[in-house]
Amino acid sequence: MEWLMWFTRLENTKPLGLLIFFITFCGILLYVYGSKERGERLESHKNMPFQDD
Amino acid sequence: MASVAIGSSEQYNYDIVRKFTIMALIWGAVGMLIGVFIASELAWPFLNFDFPYITFGRLRPVHTGAVIFGFGGSALFATSYYIVQRTCQTRLLSDGMASFTFWGWQAIIVLAALGDVLGYSQGREYAEMEWPVDLLIAVVWVTYAIIYIGTIMKRKESHIYVANWFYLAFILAVALLHIFNNLAIPVSLTKSYPLFSGAQDAMVQWWYGHNAVGFFLTAAFLGMMYYFVPKQAGRPIYSYRLSIVHFWALIFMYMWAGTHHLHWTAIPDWTSTLAATFSIMLLMPSWGGMINGIMTMSGAWDKLRTDPVLRFLIVSLSFYGMSTFEGPMMSLKDVNALSHYTDWTIGHVHSGALGWVAMISFGAIYHMVPRLWDTKMYSLKLINVHFWLATIGTLLYITAMWISGIMQGLMWRAYDDFGNLQYSFAETVAAMHPYYAMRALGGLVFLSGMILMLYNCFMTMSQAKGVASGDMAPQAA
Amino acid sequence: MIDHGKIEKNLGLMLVLVMFAISIGGLIEIVPLFFIKGTIEEARTPEGIRMVRPYSALELRGRDIYIREGCYLCHSQMIRPFRDESMRYGHYSLAAESQYDHPFQWGSKRTGPDLARVGKKYSNEWQVQHLMAPRSMVPESVMPNYPWLMSPLDISDVGDRMAALRITGVPYSVSKVEFDNNVKEFGADVAKQLHIPDAQKNLIEQAKTGNYDGNAADVTEMDAVVAYLQVLGTMVDYSKFDNDSFVKFR
Repeated sequence: MEWLMWFTRLENTKPLGLLIFFITFCGILLYVYGSKERGERLESHKNMPFQDD
Repeated sequence: MASVAIGSSEQYNYDIVRKFTIMALIWGAVGMLIGVFIASELAWPFLNFDFPYITFGRLRPVHTGAVIFGFGGSALFATSYYIVQRTCQTRLLSDGMASFTFWGWQAIIVLAALGDVLGYSQGREYAEMEWPVDLLIAVVWVTYAIIYIGTIMKRKESHIYVANWFYLAFILAVALLHIFNNLAIPVSLTKSYPLFSGAQDAMVQWWYGHNAVGFFLTAAFLGMMYYFVPKQAGRPIYSYRLSIVHFWALIFMYMWAGTHHLHWTAIPDWTSTLAATFSIMLLMPSWGGMINGIMTMSGAWDKLRTDPVLRFLIVSLSFYGMSTFEGPMMSLKDVNALSHYTDWTIGHVHSGALGWVAMISFGAIYHMVPRLWDTKMYSLKLINVHFWLATIGTLLYITAMWISGIMQGLMWRAYDDFGNLQYSFAETVAAMHPYYAMRALGGLVFLSGMILMLYNCFMTMSQAKGVASGDMAPQAA
Repeated sequence: MIDHGKIEKNLGLMLVLVMFAISIGGLIEIVPLFFIKGTIEEARTPEGIRMVRPYSALELRGRDIYIREGCYLCHSQMIRPFRDESMRYGHYSLAAESQYDHPFQWGSKRTGPDLARVGKKYSNEWQVQHLMAPRSMVPESVMPNYPWLMSPLDISDVGDRMAALRITGVPYSVSKVEFDNNVKEFGADVAKQLHIPDAQKNLIEQAKTGNYDGNAADVTEMDAVVAYLQVLGTMVDYSKFDNDSFVKFR
């Protein structure tokens, strides 16, 4: 349990949090905007509200 | 088109949408009227009339309950039932259960208001209702969740449209928040004590309070935006990919931000630092939603000149962008040291509540009413007048609160040449008077627009009834 | 391969992921507060008696009325650690000072001044007159008059109220063991006030001897409210502590 104390010190958790969130952020951007084909697939549903007319 | 309307009334349950729409209009007018009255009480305290049931302390929860849960809640029920049926191309799971959510929800609003006036209060902001009402809310909410999820389960389309994601997150989050914030030990039918106390209770309350804003007043209304902005503009949403990113970011981050309501109080510093950090990050997903909505107009800006309904929707997004910029700024500890406990917070809430929540609901209701009653709006001109009254009213209100809030914050911390406090508290109260009057005026202007809308919508409905009883006159939808 | 399209078609998966996303923040920020020592400070006298105590029966009823009238919507009870606030209101508030507050009453708006340390600042007579007609004491005030507080106080269920709070963890006593433990923790005088079987008797006695409303014959709501206001922020004796002894808790 002693190792948990490492996380309670802000000088450790701040850079750790920054790292985790920045990597996640880059990963999401890469996933969503990285591939043209995937992008078109993800965009393909935007016309749904107009199918009911 | 009349035949189409008949067909669609069999395909979809529009009756429940119509009921909730009417109640949204009525609760809007009632809640805003009470708002104007209590704003006037602060400017002219004789209005309390030594009468227990109408003092500011008892009417304020009636105001917040009627506008948030009565007006906002009914608008959300109406639009969510409308959208889920149309995007899933299927009828609601159960008409009986939907009807139960209607009568249950209206009973909750009335019981809550009665409880507030009579002094049966939990003493928790935006959750003043005592435990029997809380239980009723839980039952109605679970029924709502079952209808909503059940309707999506029997959808004809394999894809679930983005508006429904936001409504789903809203339904789940509100259930979670409501249950944990209202854990209490009852003494009698009208009195209970919350399970938590002091610092822990403060954390739970503002986790609830801020996410009531984040999910009830934001995520769900974004769901509204994702359907009605594209429909009214006649073009698909700007970027579906952006909506994916900002949806997950928004629902994840909002839940961390509540503690910024407790900066500099007796809670551990790390919680408030964490909340401030997430509040600032929250700017990105918030603006993601705003950009997605506004950019839907790109290439069709000219429609704004002719379509007042679209103008409501787009201006509401502008107010949303503005208040989601102001929010992160106020969550900075140094800014918060000035703004907290002052009217600046009240102004911030109302730029979101009047500018964003109310205006996008107005736009959505103006869009739905002619379709639900299968007719045209009684008067497009009155919608235009309403738009200007709403905009001017909001601006008057938030300007008054900015000035009074910043001014009072600065007066509280002003020192004279000897290092003593320059102003007594009472002097700072006296300095607020003109701005309290101005705020009441702004509210009155906004309310008059609401009443105009009520008139316009009821004229539309009665004209539709006239048509229905006579010939099935052909109407362009 | 990860594919968001799957989530968009799979309702169950979406519900699970949404639930996951909205649970994390609350879990990480709220749950530790129940376990981390030092979230609530310890404030004891040199003899080891706890300074912050639960409210007496009369004070509790006053607090209930404070909540009934929605006082928290215009008055905060939380002094922040700023120079101007300490000059205006006194020492910044400790978490310990509201540890028996169900619900907390820190508030969010100061239309009127902070009340965290209003206790003993004004006389009972001033408080009564101010509650009856605020503008007769403070002309600039926008507070409503509260003349109906002069009506009789309902004391029939005060024991039930204390019993409900006891379930939440407030150390009101029912048994001899609990009572003795309170004597050890809070001293004999306070322990008597916390004993539920004597609640009504204690309440009447405090109202009569305290004579908060200037009318010793009847127990009114005014007695209760003023008794509550007069105890606010007075429990911790800061002269017993060094200036910075509470800083480490923030």
